Amino acid sequence: MARIRWAALALISIAAAPLKAQSDQRDSGTITIVIGAEPTLPIPTLSPAKQNVDVGSLLFLHLARMGKRLSTTDERDFEPELARSWSRRDSLTLAFDLDTRVHWHDGQPVTARDIVWSVNRVRDSATSPTYSLLLRDIASVTSEGPSRVVFKYRRAYAEQMYDAVWQVAPLPAHLLEHVPSASLATSSFATHPVGNGPYRYSRLEPGRLLELVANPDFFLGRPKLERVIFLVVRGAEAQLNLMLDGTADAYEAPMLARQVTPVIAKPDLKIQTMPSFSFAYLLFNQKAYGVRSKPHPILADPAVRRAITLAIDRQSLLRSTFGPYASLVDGPMGLASWIRRLTPKLPGYDRARAKTILAERGWTDRDGDGVLEKDGQALVLRLNYPGTNLPRVTLAEPVQQMLRQVGIRVDLVRLDGPIWAERRTKGEFDIDFSQTTLDPSPSGLVQSWSCAGIGGSNVASTCNPAFDRALARATATVGDAGPAWRDAIRALQDGTPAMFFYSPMAVIVTHARYRNVSFRPEAVWSDLWRWSVAPGRRIARDER
Amino acid sequence: MTAWLVRRLGQATLTFAAVAGLLFVLMRVAPGDPLARLTDERPIAPAERARLRALFGLDQPLTRQLASFASAAARGDFGVSIEYYPVRVGHLVAARLPPSLLLGGAVLLVNFSLGVWLGVLQARRRGSGLDRWLTRLAIAGYAMPSFWLGLVLVSLFAIRWRLLPAAQMTDPLLSAEAGLLARGIDVVRHLVLPTVTLSVVTIAATMRYQRTAMLEALRRDFVRAARARGLSERRVIWRHAWRNALFPVLTLLGLWVPILVSGSVFVESVFNWPGLGSLAASAIATRDYPVLMATALLVSAAVLLGGVLTDLGYRWLDPRTRAA
Repeated sequence: MARIRWAALALISIAAAPLKAQSDQRDSGTITIVIGAEPTLPIPTLSPAKQNVDVGSLLFLHLARMGKRLSTTDERDFEPELARSWSRRDSLTLAFDLDTRVHWHDGQPVTARDIVWSVNRVRDSATSPTYSLLLRDIASVTSEGPSRVVFKYRRAYAEQMYDAVWQVAPLPAHLLEHVPSASLATSSFATHPVGNGPYRYSRLEPGRLLELVANPDFFLGRPKLERVIFLVVRGAEAQLNLMLDGTADAYEAPMLARQVTPVIAKPDLKIQTMPSFSFAYLLFNQKAYGVRSKPHPILADPAVRRAITLAIDRQSLLRSTFGPYASLVDGPMGLASWIRRLTPKLPGYDRARAKTILAERGWTDRDGDGVLEKDGQALVLRLNYPGTNLPRVTLAEPVQQMLRQVGIRVDLVRLDGPIWAERRTKGEFDIDFSQTTLDPSPSGLVQSWSCAGIGGSNVASTCNPAFDRALARATATVGDAGPAWRDAIRALQDGTPAMFFYSPMAVIVTHARYRNVSFRPEAVWSDLWRWSVAPGRRIARDER
Repeated sequence: MTAWLVRRLGQATLTFAAVAGLLFVLMRVAPGDPLARLTDERPIAPAERARLRALFGLDQPLTRQLASFASAAARGDFGVSIEYYPVRVGHLVAARLPPSLLLGGAVLLVNFSLGVWLGVLQARRRGSGLDRWLTRLAIAGYAMPSFWLGLVLVSLFAIRWRLLPAAQMTDPLLSAEAGLLARGIDVVRHLVLPTVTLSVVTIAATMRYQRTAMLEALRRDFVRAARARGLSERRVIWRHAWRNALFPVLTLLGLWVPILVSGSVFVESVFNWPGLGSLAASAIATRDYPVLMATALLVSAAVLLGGVLTDLGYRWLDPRTRAA
């Protein structure tokens, strides 16, 4: 009996052990953010992975950032960061004046030399083929004194400012100019980055967490939250449980409506949503399955593709799957993209019209099995999708059922993520349930949707010369580029290369004690330095 | 003994080399693009893709990849992870091994101390109400899916009653200045739920094996003789009967040794335990060949080591096997 009492006492003492650390007396806030993957390389331009971009945005600033409208073509809409101002010298030249208050975390001032070195590093195609392609219209980057940087362009176009400031967040030249580009990712800088942003790199426990601490010398004021801890948690259940048991303060939740239901019931947690640059779509392969030299026997016909888009009730599928956490899109762009406002609406769900179109194209059900045929060929298509993506897994079956109702048999091909990606790249699909995250600029459409992208990201071999011409006009437009972009999107819609489906909202759950909470679609946590803990709502971990 | 051990280790090494070669070839011929996740659904230039392929040696012929892998692995270098680029595989495994050993060790300890004790207890009280109830409980635990049990325990002990943490191995906010005792208590608090989850679903086998072996031993003449000599019941059970009833449990223990490094994918996922099981599972999902090879070889080594240790245990417990 005595043994049992001792065991019970031991258990109680373990359970009741103080949850949080001892603290000093300074008044400050802490935030613990759950992320799904480890930020192993939070250095701008070295990794496009979301977790690296999110963490990197707190360590490194850009010359300027997009304003609230997220317009990539309007220079006046940008907000200063490293550059306090900019001026246009002529249609091919932009000059930026740096804010002299900005310093690297090692105390050195941020100078024009840092910006020139950083941009030129990635413009080298041997170092970074993707960036050199994205920045191909920049002719030169030079410094005029320690605080002025001058960008010269090869041609006049509306996104010159965007190209100068968005793609590259400068790195400290004084620490890196002697490090070979190929070794940068494995250098000591990569494991202990020195940035210029509101937070400094503190420590990494591999596989577990990354801690940042406030930069006391941040030129816009010391961040109110002293510590930011990114907890690496892969499993969706564990992520949610850490929010519910109070260990974590914030996380970007999975977007299915049913997955955030437990959070709604907790009064000390708040759910907020934000548009994203991601969008999902059913991509129609216009070449035969795995054979790029032959047209697709069914989907090469744009009328069939159009009938498929009319036969699927996108709105009801979306409402039942995502609730309020996704929106329909009518073109290849996420909700956050500024061209979404210009995009013409696609025709809505119309099953009768879909049937009529198919009948007009000679597809009829002669043998009465419910599947249409034409010239002895049944209207059977394979739909590939990754089995690891819950929204797409959830939606694939209803899509199959809706197409069945117009006489199209869809065989669902649920694939392991890497196999799905491999088949997509090789064109081994009829319809692919894709999801893409694009940069804020619509000029990226050239890679996936123009004839020039075939052999690269244009895996469905979509080629519509009318779209290509309109896209070229839109990207070359100076001034109000809206109408040109509207024409380009309309030309793309006319070819029906895909059924544009939905753009998921970013669903962010935070503890209710934070004030001034705001998020950015391009890097969710980049405004964190403005957050604070409401007076009287501090908890133990906010005191240090 | 030494000659036997050298021969046994030699066999294990050969088996290990064969497994390594087979694993390497199987992984490379399996479909799937290891760069799929690295590019994170963002369009990248074809030249960038080619550069990444060259960086990870994926553009080389299979035989050359195998030769490079073998020579580097012989030096203990498994290269750079694709998923966690630019982290070296050695660092990843070194970081994940201690949590796996800790959880696996705790499970083995609970399993083979409590499981053996309960098995012996059941055998001593064969046919009693206690025996029947323990059997039912053990089978119920065995039938429970571990991830479901884990979620139920978290829901009750972490979220509803706030007695134990829901996940992680340590409190992320524990002060860097915290002493060894505070750190130890913190780890133990985090260890409780995953250990209980894994133990509940695995202890049944130990109990059943031990019960059957013990019943067999209790029927033997030497036990009757020990009792006739007037030895205490405790001495009869633990010194005479149990020692002879250990062989099946020893075999089971040998089979369980790999859990020390393999962990449990589901339990590690539910509790975000940073072990090798979840690392291997994520490497499979992303085709991170270097990490996959390192973890698979570690598990292979543990399996082989478990076999050798079991054989050693037999030789120690049963002098008759030494002549073989």
